[in-house]
Amino acid sequence: MASAQSQEDQVLEEETSFVRILTLNRPRQLNALSAQMISRLLELFQRYETDSNVKLLILKGKGRAFCAGGDVAAVVRGINEGDWISGAKFFSKEFILNYLMATYTKPQVSILNGIVMGGGAGVSIHGRFRVATENSVCNTALFLVIKVFAMPETALGLFPDIGASYFLSRLPGFFGEYVGLTGARLDGAEMRACGLATHFVPSSRLALLEEALYKVNSSDPAVISAVIDKFSLEPYLKDHSAYHWMDVIDKCFSRRTVEEILSALESESTNRADAWISDAIQSLKKASPTSLKISLRSIREGRLQGVGQCLIREYRMVCHVMMGEVSKDFFEVCNPFKCAHGCRAILLDKDKNPKWKPSKLELVNDNMVDQYFSKINDDRWEDIKLPARSNLPATAIAKL
Amino acid sequence: MDRAIHRTIIIKNHLLQPNSDQILTTNACLSYSPPELNEVYDFDLKEMRKLLDGHNLQEQDWLFNLMVQSKLFNPRKRGEKVYVAPDYNQTMEQQREMTMKRISYLLERGVFEGWLTAKGAEAELRKLALLEVTGIFDHSLAIKIGVHFFLWGGAIQFFGTQRHHEKWLRDTENYVVLGCFAMTELGHGSNVRGIETVTTYDANTGEFIINTPCESAQKYWIGGAANHATHTIVFSQLEINGKNQGVHAFICQIRDAAGNICPNIRIADCGHKIGLNGVDNGRIWFDNVRIPRENLLNSVADVSPDGQYLSSIKDPDQRFAAFMAPLTSGRVIIAGSSVYKAKIGLAIAIRYSLSRRAFSITPNGPEVLLLDYPSHQRRLLPLLAKSYAASCAANYLKMMYVNRTPQSNKTIHVVSSAFKAILTWHNMRTLQECREACGGQGLKTENRVGHLKGEFDVQLTFEGDNNVLMQQVSKALLAEYLAAQKRNRPLQGLGLEHMNKPCPVIPSQLTSSILRTTQFQMDAFCLRERDLLSRFVMKVSQHQAEGQSKDYALMLSYQLAEDLGRAFSDRAMLQTFIDTEATISSGSLKNVLGLLRSLYALTCLEEDAAFLRYGYLSTDNASAVRNEVQKLCSEIRPHALALVSSFGIPDAFLGPIAFDWIDANAWSSVQ
Repeated sequence: MASAQSQEDQVLEEETSFVRILTLNRPRQLNALSAQMISRLLELFQRYETDSNVKLLILKGKGRAFCAGGDVAAVVRGINEGDWISGAKFFSKEFILNYLMATYTKPQVSILNGIVMGGGAGVSIHGRFRVATENSVCNTALFLVIKVFAMPETALGLFPDIGASYFLSRLPGFFGEYVGLTGARLDGAEMRACGLATHFVPSSRLALLEEALYKVNSSDPAVISAVIDKFSLEPYLKDHSAYHWMDVIDKCFSRRTVEEILSALESESTNRADAWISDAIQSLKKASPTSLKISLRSIREGRLQGVGQCLIREYRMVCHVMMGEVSKDFFEVCNPFKCAHGCRAILLDKDKNPKWKPSKLELVNDNMVDQYFSKINDDRWEDIKLPARSNLPATAIAKL
Repeated sequence: MDRAIHRTIIIKNHLLQPNSDQILTTNACLSYSPPELNEVYDFDLKEMRKLLDGHNLQEQDWLFNLMVQSKLFNPRKRGEKVYVAPDYNQTMEQQREMTMKRISYLLERGVFEGWLTAKGAEAELRKLALLEVTGIFDHSLAIKIGVHFFLWGGAIQFFGTQRHHEKWLRDTENYVVLGCFAMTELGHGSNVRGIETVTTYDANTGEFIINTPCESAQKYWIGGAANHATHTIVFSQLEINGKNQGVHAFICQIRDAAGNICPNIRIADCGHKIGLNGVDNGRIWFDNVRIPRENLLNSVADVSPDGQYLSSIKDPDQRFAAFMAPLTSGRVIIAGSSVYKAKIGLAIAIRYSLSRRAFSITPNGPEVLLLDYPSHQRRLLPLLAKSYAASCAANYLKMMYVNRTPQSNKTIHVVSSAFKAILTWHNMRTLQECREACGGQGLKTENRVGHLKGEFDVQLTFEGDNNVLMQQVSKALLAEYLAAQKRNRPLQGLGLEHMNKPCPVIPSQLTSSILRTTQFQMDAFCLRERDLLSRFVMKVSQHQAEGQSKDYALMLSYQLAEDLGRAFSDRAMLQTFIDTEATISSGSLKNVLGLLRSLYALTCLEEDAAFLRYGYLSTDNASAVRNEVQKLCSEIRPHALALVSSFGIPDAFLGPIAFDWIDANAWSSVQ
């Protein structure tokens, strides 16, 4: 098995005098984060933080992906065997890594030259600098499972985890709701435009950029930003990018409920024939109603919270998802994995769409949504314990 | 010469300093330590917020989201955080335009859906919850919305009949018409019955003619009139065939859709104010303005086409009371919103006091955190406790209001008057204390506390001057008392049943545990209320026996009336706190509520001179109470952060000093 690859090999470590370069090295799995990789990254980040010789961290991926998410094969296997606690442990570690990055005292530059999905966004967006390229493809909204196992395009997401309710809700206007609910893929230019990326550097200049960064001997964000600026350009936003229609996105995705968002989009689509609107409507209609509702709630709560609190909430949600007590939709999505292991086939209706349960938005009531945000009644379970951080930035503080 | 050498050395040191970084990174500098690192959360903040906000939390959060994400709400970055608040440095005219733009934005997002067209308690609660959130952002925004929906819209709902409802409510909800409410005049505010505007009827044309007969009759302080309103409710004396039928309400257009002022209407601005400059308060003169007969809001009284006055309520006093009904909603809203303002002040001042230090008490020791000074605790924590009590009171009032019945009207009138006065006074006092507790930082507009004082001062007098309201409360209690006496029946309603029971006895020795019981606290409050009520009754009848009129006798007894009004309000508020506490099952949340309730009750005992003046407490009792207040403050101190975090006010709506004030003021954020 690929996971037999040792920890060290899954994360390659290089160093210059003041810079550490970490490369996610599971190219065949699109660098999906395994439990070993997460542990290794945690260990390295903790060590670098106290090492005064380390001024800057660079994180990149080997091959055509930066990172396609967390590899939850083991998690799904566990759930199928009725053991969701081991899955909880996986996410707990992943979220702690996200938190560490979000509150890190030293700058992290992530080079997003390729696919960035779910957990991949989690290990990059929280860092100080994110460099997109023309090869970037970002889908923050979705669980890794889907992509890793090459589910069909529809990619019927679960909900934005890995602290996404924190950073998605801080995108301009209601773009975060748009991205989070429709699972829209963003390219490098769009990532730069909405702020998910801090810079856009053409991939042809990446080698030069990295060379310049290796020589950095300062942790001052202004210095590092200036270095990246030298290689950056303002990318051309494609004509049909939804980002051009921010006013329509704001108008529709600011509505209070998923139902209202959908109907606002539908009434907009009668006035205009833009592809992104019909795509958005299609995505919302195909997605799991439960997933849409908890995602929207999570983003809305996230907007008023610190990143720590967002991770605590998302951890509760992901545990509820794994327990499958309210809706088992999430397992239906996971099923390709089960299939691969000879389990039951995924439930699809005649249009090859999964059969969600509850099947309609109006059947998912507030109480069902509330449950995902509550503590879990299980003696083995507790809220995620985020490490105490000495230098908590204002943005990271959990409030309510 | 020495001086020159000295200067040369300094310059040389500047030039030759090997690594200038070292000078800048000394350890002596203060650094901001977020209170979250040192404080613990002993109870579930979400549960506490549910208890405080009571209803529609998600709708509230949605509206917070809407405001935070729009440039219209003036987001400003300070350090790493973004804050939203109006730019109060804009001119009055600019602020007014911004208020309207914000309203359009919220309208487009569906915030006002159902505010006038949906029926039932649920719809009313949603409306109140959303209005409260707008007020957390800006008082002008809330007032502008409140005038349009609750005063103009409310008047049409309450005074109008079906024809008015059909014609105006939906258009109001969609802002097709912009309403205002012309009641107060230059010469008459709280005394509405004395207004001088006169309306007559012309049977030949089937029109009413509204006139402003003199300068003191000009409509004054009319929110929305100066710039935006297209229509107004006009309160006026109605004269039919030479007979004055008392105050009635009419609909009158004052501007056309293009914003031009209508013929025979004159409008002037009330000018710049100490706060609320985002509201266009104006003055209106009516020069024999003709309006159709149908524009009389005729639920209480009507005029037939041929000019006959018709009313189902014959008694002019009762007729007038029916007209005052919508003002109750105003008082319910003001009471509720004032609690939120106190919360903003406390959240900012307490967060600041948990991150700001001053003076060391040991040589070379660290400076002491402001909130670790018992004196600072005594300044802020009783106000925090009272704000919790006030939340319970406001929720009780809201629930009573949305579930109102014709039978509960009188209770709502009395309780809303009492709570409006007590809660708005509490708000102003809290903001003043919080402003001082923030020191110089409290003066900066961006830190909100100080500025809010000017914004909310108006609450003390609008919708009924607080002092007048308190006198009305006492007057109502007097009437209850006399009525019960006359019919020889026990007192019932307004929570006065305790007066039928034997007089409570205060123990001569007050231990800490006795002081913290609801029994003792309620006994002390009831004792004060019953004694003051009987004293008040006696005083008034004594004056009457001396030949004074009843009104004059009441006027002369103002001292007791004020004490009694306060006694009634405090007792009613304590009751709501106790009732709220009873809904929680035992645990850390309940324990904290118990501490807060005790601190609230004992602070009242400590602060109201009536307890000593009339001997409800002995001087020994009073000092036991005082000691206990200090003890309670120190016990609540560890929960301070959790208690203000439970308010659920998003960070963006507080000020920079509530968070990393060093970062917010750093040179890098100047650039």
